[in-house]
Amino acid sequence: MMGNRVLVVGGGLAGLAATMKLAELGVSVDLLSLTPVKRSHSVCAQGGINSVNDLTRQQGDDEWQHFDDTIYGGDFLQNQPPVKEMAYWAPKVIDLMDRLGVTFNRTPEGFIDRRRFGGTLYKRTAFAGATTGQQLLYALDEQVRRYESEGLVKKYEFWDFLGPVLDDNGRCVGAVAQDMVSMQIRSFAADAVIVATGGNGLVFGRSTMSVFCTGSAASRCFQAGAKLGNPEFIQVHPTAIPGADKLRLMSESARGEGGRVWVPRKPNDSRYPKEIPQNERYYFLEERFPKYGNLVPRDIATREIFNICVNEGLSVDPTRMSVYLDLTHIPRAELDRKLGGILEIYEKFQGVDPREEPMKIFPAVHYSMGGLWVDYEASSSGGLLPGSPQNQVTNIPGLYALGECDYQYHGANRLGANSLLSCIFSGLFVAPGIVNLMKNNKAASDLPKSIFEKAVAVQESRHKALLANQSGDENPYLLHQELGDTMTRAATVVRDNAQLDEAYAKVLDLQARSKKCSLSDTGSWTNQNVIFTKAVQDMFPVSLSILRGARMRDESRGAHYKPAFSPPSLKSTDPAERLREAEAWCDDFEANNKKFLNSTICTWDGTEPVHSFEPIDTRLLAPRPRLYGLVGAEAIEQVWKERSASAKAKPESKQLVSAGT
Amino acid sequence: MIAPGSEAPKRKPSKINVRVLRQDGPGLPQYWERHQVDYEPDMNVISVLQKIAAQAKTSDGKKVSPVAWDCGCLEEVCGSCTMVINGRVRQSCSALVDRLVEDNPEEIELQPMTKFPVLRDLMIDRSRLFHNLKRVKAWVPVDGSYDMGAGPRISRADQEQNYPLSQCMSCGCCLEACPQFTKIELQRQPGETDESYDLRKKEAYDQGFIGAHAISQAMLFNAHPVGKNIADERMEALTGTGGIAACGNAQNCVAVCPKEIPLTTSIARAGRAATVYSFRKFFDR
Amino acid sequence: MTSNSSALSFFHRNEFLIRRLHSLSGLVPVGAYMCVHLITNASLLAGASVFQNNVFTIHSIPFLPLVEWAFIFGPILFHAAVGVWIAQTGKSNVQQYRYTHNRRYSWQRMTGYIAIIFIFTHVFHLHGWFHMDWWLKSVAEPLGMAQFRPYNAASSLADAMNDFGGIVWPIFYLVGVLACTFHLANGIWTAGITWGLWLTPKSQNRASVFCAIFGVFIGAAGIASLVAVKTTDSKAAKVIEDEMYKVRVEGHMVKPDDHKRTDGHQHKEERKPEPVAAP
Repeated sequence: MMGNRVLVVGGGLAGLAATMKLAELGVSVDLLSLTPVKRSHSVCAQGGINSVNDLTRQQGDDEWQHFDDTIYGGDFLQNQPPVKEMAYWAPKVIDLMDRLGVTFNRTPEGFIDRRRFGGTLYKRTAFAGATTGQQLLYALDEQVRRYESEGLVKKYEFWDFLGPVLDDNGRCVGAVAQDMVSMQIRSFAADAVIVATGGNGLVFGRSTMSVFCTGSAASRCFQAGAKLGNPEFIQVHPTAIPGADKLRLMSESARGEGGRVWVPRKPNDSRYPKEIPQNERYYFLEERFPKYGNLVPRDIATREIFNICVNEGLSVDPTRMSVYLDLTHIPRAELDRKLGGILEIYEKFQGVDPREEPMKIFPAVHYSMGGLWVDYEASSSGGLLPGSPQNQVTNIPGLYALGECDYQYHGANRLGANSLLSCIFSGLFVAPGIVNLMKNNKAASDLPKSIFEKAVAVQESRHKALLANQSGDENPYLLHQELGDTMTRAATVVRDNAQLDEAYAKVLDLQARSKKCSLSDTGSWTNQNVIFTKAVQDMFPVSLSILRGARMRDESRGAHYKPAFSPPSLKSTDPAERLREAEAWCDDFEANNKKFLNSTICTWDGTEPVHSFEPIDTRLLAPRPRLYGLVGAEAIEQVWKERSASAKAKPESKQLVSAGT
Repeated sequence: MIAPGSEAPKRKPSKINVRVLRQDGPGLPQYWERHQVDYEPDMNVISVLQKIAAQAKTSDGKKVSPVAWDCGCLEEVCGSCTMVINGRVRQSCSALVDRLVEDNPEEIELQPMTKFPVLRDLMIDRSRLFHNLKRVKAWVPVDGSYDMGAGPRISRADQEQNYPLSQCMSCGCCLEACPQFTKIELQRQPGETDESYDLRKKEAYDQGFIGAHAISQAMLFNAHPVGKNIADERMEALTGTGGIAACGNAQNCVAVCPKEIPLTTSIARAGRAATVYSFRKFFDR
Repeated sequence: MTSNSSALSFFHRNEFLIRRLHSLSGLVPVGAYMCVHLITNASLLAGASVFQNNVFTIHSIPFLPLVEWAFIFGPILFHAAVGVWIAQTGKSNVQQYRYTHNRRYSWQRMTGYIAIIFIFTHVFHLHGWFHMDWWLKSVAEPLGMAQFRPYNAASSLADAMNDFGGIVWPIFYLVGVLACTFHLANGIWTAGITWGLWLTPKSQNRASVFCAIFGVFIGAAGIASLVAVKTTDSKAAKVIEDEMYKVRVEGHMVKPDDHKRTDGHQHKEERKPEPVAAP
């Protein structure tokens, strides 16, 4: 392995997991991050990490069920082999993190305690208080620090990734990056580049994300030729604390531990929440979704909260839309033990003790299910082939994407506590494949210097041009604000084609204006102004792809909700008529899937995204209607069962289904 | 302010005066600069700094480069945005303007941390803090990441003791407030390579006080069933130069820790462990 | 590392050992000695004879100068030297962080400095540091120092305190004793953390209370000694002391030693106080 180097961009869970595994396999790693890796956005993940476990197993759960929940929760938009592999690895991932010293909450007997999360009926979620992401990240950070002290890992913190370096054959052989302190721009030769740079929440202005989640690194890969998959699928988390600078996450674990969402039945009820009697409270999630209650999948909870405030006018606060998330019925000690971290955040930033008074929450942009398109190589059992260099590679050979910035695992909607899993899993899983890749390739360090010099020159001229531009009058901070407002209006909870078209034109206009940014800081030392301006400029290709993807998808699926194209509920009360409606509903469902059960693929032509659809690998689980809370769900389910039973009689599909089990 | 009627409406200023201690680069002089931003409800120091960055003008209208600062999660879990606000070290994201003006309606005073080299304005170089985690080998020395089954069983009591320690976000508040933790700032010598400069810094850091955060992490990992396999190596660091003995028991660390980590308990535990370790080392060899 | 650590200063290389010895020496023997010392002094409240009796007991220790240097002066000097070094390694910030413990940190250092000045002066003033004749005759005594006479304990003490109108020394001693008392009481508390005796904030608070009570007790002993000295009639005391001395010499309980007696020296009243001796 001498002379082989891998560049990992991003030091969150995925990047650190990959770094740790690569170092363990003897590969030298350059780890590049906008921030000291210990401060990566993974620290904000609160609720937990999912896996089947000894307890749920005895209740009938297994890996297949976890896989099924993930696919069903994601509305079948995922290629299934990677998801299957992830679900089967999940118990191993948690065992590993346990061994690394993560302070998971414990049962009285000393086992890892579990809580229930959305979209499942089992208590699969391991957690460390309400700061699980932080704890997992720290465990990996510590292992990477260990390899760093052994000399296998070299960290470049406060470095901004500017783009991949491609050789003449289009293979990625390194990257160009900029030191955010000294402003030096240099290239890093690498036999493989892993981009694990997280989400793009800043495209929406305010979100639950950290300030460095601009999506610019992924955008720079996109602009260099990498494909985006499913960019329009943006998870809006149902429960966040509205704030002026940021929408702070209020974890799903608050509901997992028994938190109840409600509003007063009477609009504009000005009474203190605890004075409102039970029968005058509307626990709308529990009433509408008796099976899952407050733990319906996120996309559904979000729409319901949005709907209750926007359409039904039941917001609990006249000035700022919100509903109550109530924990006050749970004993204080238990709250402190299991949710301490997030309750402190609420208390600190809102000045109200959520143990005493219901929290006021509202949905906020939280996670990008879509991202850089990545490949995989399936095994004969329908999982992934371990050690294949095809796993997690983008369409640019040698350029890999992991974690939130890939599109692979969560389909149209991510289940709570699956993101930490997908990050760690993909990080661990990608490493052996990269080692195998490097066995066959010429070392990047032996390539002619001119390739790298050229790439650096491109970035240097961009940088200099920005500093030199004093004629423009655009302020990057204000442009960002406008972009965020536009995107939040058009591309979050509810989407409408006219509005999407309008937003697309607006964003194109903003993009043109962003070329005319003039900087208030033209210095060459720790110039945050120019770094931010570049990030803003690179938000536009991603924003346009989100809008384009949303525009082209005339259906509702997971987090992407277009009322104009939503299947109606069944209306008839007459059983026979209802059955007929259900048949028609299922016909529509099948026809819609033919058209839209495809991954959105965007490529960049230099000015705009080019859209296409790509079929989805559903080799393991046939798509079925996602019916949480729909009126007439029973009838549809019945019809659907009959249909799939007759389909199962066909030999080939039976084989496929059993292959995975 | 959000909850109607929950608080009597207080008179809020329409403008916020901010005094920032700026520095253009390492080794350059520091200078104060006044800024003024419009007041909005629910502001924190981060949003004040964002406004300052966007307007890039001092309070007397002079055009200046935006103030540089570091921030990340904005919800007090990443540890980025530590600075000295009105004379006290804290996270700027959780420094709410309404509270700050209650204490001092005249102005908000922002300074970079004083125990770390300033890179620019409010940005400081905290690499020493992370380096000190290496000194105490703050990790569990696992064989590797292959699947070896679950980790050791851990009692709820142990978890409840360790979890608070593992919440340390390396923000550096404890070090800033510690009278025994003093600044180490090296100047790059002309013609010095990155490697030799880094080595020189590392050697200087190795002699300085290790700090409450690293002591606490050492105790966290010494309490872990597998982590304690290298407990002696950690104790060697803690009983070495700049180790636990340099603590002066001023206990500011625990008072300023935004995560309320029981740092002084960790320090006392480390003291006890050091007593036992040094006796053992002396008499067992 | 090895080539480098050899270049480190001795202090740095042995920082842990030195600091722990510093902590230990503050408790034993220095702290312990201070307790014995103040309680012995306070026995003067019970009368010159009781006090004289105690002093006789102390002075019955064989090789006293050696014992003094090995167990008292040596450790004090070590504790003082290392203490100054330690104080130099920190930078107090009590103006910024006005927490009780932080104040105590500052006071520990301030009282340490006061204690150094006090103890050096005090030993010089009463004991003289060295008992070689040339030192006493040509340095200590001309400066008005080395005034304590073990076999005329109370009277020589009372006389010694009466220089400068009888007010300067008592105030000096009051400040010094109280500084030492705080330094010891708080030092016991910090030592308890340093050595790992009390771990949690709760137990440390309990220890604080204990140390405070201890401090009040020791401080009271110190003040009591001062009161006793100030209220001692030195002439009357001297009569008793001389009588006790005589009986002991006759009973072969002490060897005659004029150096330890007022009368063996130049008589005090014949000498003018030296202005240079002001603290």
